[in-house]
Amino acid sequence: MIYPFGEGRQRWIPYLLVVPGLLLYFMIALGPSLATSLYSFTDASGTPGGEVNWIGLDNYDEFLFAGQAALDNIDALERTIIFSVVVSSMQFGLGLIVAILLTQGLPGTRFFRTLFFMPVILGAVIQGLIWRLFLYPLGGPLSTFLEQFGMYSEFLGGQDAFWWVVVVQIWANMGITMVIFIAGLQTIPEELYEAAQIDGASSLDSFRYITWPMLTPAVNTNLILNIIGSLQAWILFLVLIGYRPGTQVLGYIIYAQGFGATGASNAPLRQGFAAAASIVLFIIVLIVGLTTQYLLRRREERLLG
Amino acid sequence: MNTTSVAQDGMIELDDAKFSKPGWFKISPRVILSYAALLLIAVAYLGPLLMLFNTTFLTNREFNRNATQLPGTLSNEGYEESWDDRLFFASEIPGSISFEAYEAPWAEGDLAKNTRNFFGYIGDLFSNYTTAWEQGDFAQLMLNSVFYAFSATTLYVFTAVFVAFPVARGYIKGGGIVFTLFLIALFLPPALIPQFQLMLGLDLYNTRLGYILLLVVNPVGIIIMVNYLRSLPRELDEAAAMDGCGYVRFMFYIVFPLSRPVIATVVVLHAIGIWNEVILATIYLTDESKQPITRGLLEFQGQYGSAWPVLASAVTLMAIPMIILFLFLQRYIISGLTQGAVKS
Repeated sequence: MIYPFGEGRQRWIPYLLVVPGLLLYFMIALGPSLATSLYSFTDASGTPGGEVNWIGLDNYDEFLFAGQAALDNIDALERTIIFSVVVSSMQFGLGLIVAILLTQGLPGTRFFRTLFFMPVILGAVIQGLIWRLFLYPLGGPLSTFLEQFGMYSEFLGGQDAFWWVVVVQIWANMGITMVIFIAGLQTIPEELYEAAQIDGASSLDSFRYITWPMLTPAVNTNLILNIIGSLQAWILFLVLIGYRPGTQVLGYIIYAQGFGATGASNAPLRQGFAAAASIVLFIIVLIVGLTTQYLLRRREERLLG
Repeated sequence: MNTTSVAQDGMIELDDAKFSKPGWFKISPRVILSYAALLLIAVAYLGPLLMLFNTTFLTNREFNRNATQLPGTLSNEGYEESWDDRLFFASEIPGSISFEAYEAPWAEGDLAKNTRNFFGYIGDLFSNYTTAWEQGDFAQLMLNSVFYAFSATTLYVFTAVFVAFPVARGYIKGGGIVFTLFLIALFLPPALIPQFQLMLGLDLYNTRLGYILLLVVNPVGIIIMVNYLRSLPRELDEAAAMDGCGYVRFMFYIVFPLSRPVIATVVVLHAIGIWNEVILATIYLTDESKQPITRGLLEFQGQYGSAWPVLASAVTLMAIPMIILFLFLQRYIISGLTQGAVKS
């Protein structure tokens, strides 16, 4: 594009002004992100001035093959995928249903929308603490409710702690999926539905042949965001249950190993190992993300022509 | 007809009016079912919030005996004992009003005294909040959070517009590559480890400056801005340049004012992100005096983990500013999040 604001020295001004933003991005985000792969081949610790040695694939070897700890890591890997599959599909389904319910012009729509979106802005610490209270096992609301049926659960302290994190994760982020669907539903011309109605189409037909295909951009955005977001999510695990064997996901292992938050006192900061775990997570995100994108694009092409 | 939900200033609006046709409100099975489903989901959303709010008005003893009761109604027992609990609890708080100053508001006696008692009662009702505020040093924490959100967001917005505009216009070579580099951020591995080494190397560990620098990055905001700036008419640039306006002047007098809606959106999203940030604060800010409120709340929970009434009050104190802001700025938040979902 032709630059209208002068030639010569003038031409350099936009370049000059781009520098701070780009530099910060490269220095703080992109650079470190890429350097993670380098650190994954070292025994870097987090101590200032500590020696950093190149140890090749040792970290990966340990992560995947070193006895019981490696089995735990594989478990965590599986757990990460289960978490992602359940969270993203539930969030997608629930978000779609709620969005449809909230675009019928019913009175009170705005109230429900605000309420369902509210957790999104509260952030993980508040979301987590609110649910720790709600799931208080000694006479909290849910515990009292279960008691009516003679049931008892330790909730976050018990066996199903993982599943409660799944619930909270969906609760916390369903609002984003919902508003993206609502925005998508709004772009569908009303005339299509009217024409379909005249032709005698049922509501189900309308959904299948109008809403669903016309919603494709919102569907794609939501799927990609949900899947990648839930693969990388772990902060609610920290707030809700802490680092407990048999519950962690990959993201939490990275943090706990890298910054000594495994719960063991004086746990060493194993940043090289954490970097290797980051790369494992990255590879999963990459494979799943690209596959999803490929499938979605193929579907879009099929729909369009 | 093109039914678009993009408002005049380019904001994406969730337009309720579009869906209200004349004669929509007939009580049909469909309407009833819709409300039933919505109410069911609403319980899951309101329940935890109401529980939180109710807990802030309970005493510890009330909570331990029956966590779901309303304040002042000890289950199976009279109000009086619950009242004593409040007095007992109040007396535990350092610096609280003295024990004898209280009488139940309905106690016999003259009106003035009872009124005074009534306000004493109100004060007691909120005593968990004052305890949390003082014990958690929340004034300092909130000040820190506001400072981080304000400084990092300001810094971010200026640097971001200066990147987004020439990229949107194609005024710099390699603009397309730059845009892609921001787009792929979603997929990249976590940067935590090298970031930490970098901060150690720069001697920015446990410094406010270091923490702010970490918060001046947000690829999503840049993408939102580029998408918006592409829609500004190019003739503006040419006309301004013909009149002898330079690039910097053009940025400040034309681009910034014209992108107010998108700047508002990005500012709100970014500031919320900072307000809720906890991991970097946990890693980098070991000095209590530098910590933001999220970190403070986690520490507070470590100390008061079992004293839910005070902890719940602390959580509420942190949530309320966000909820109020959200009610006012909902439009900007939602517009930012739904960008790109409507286009393809």
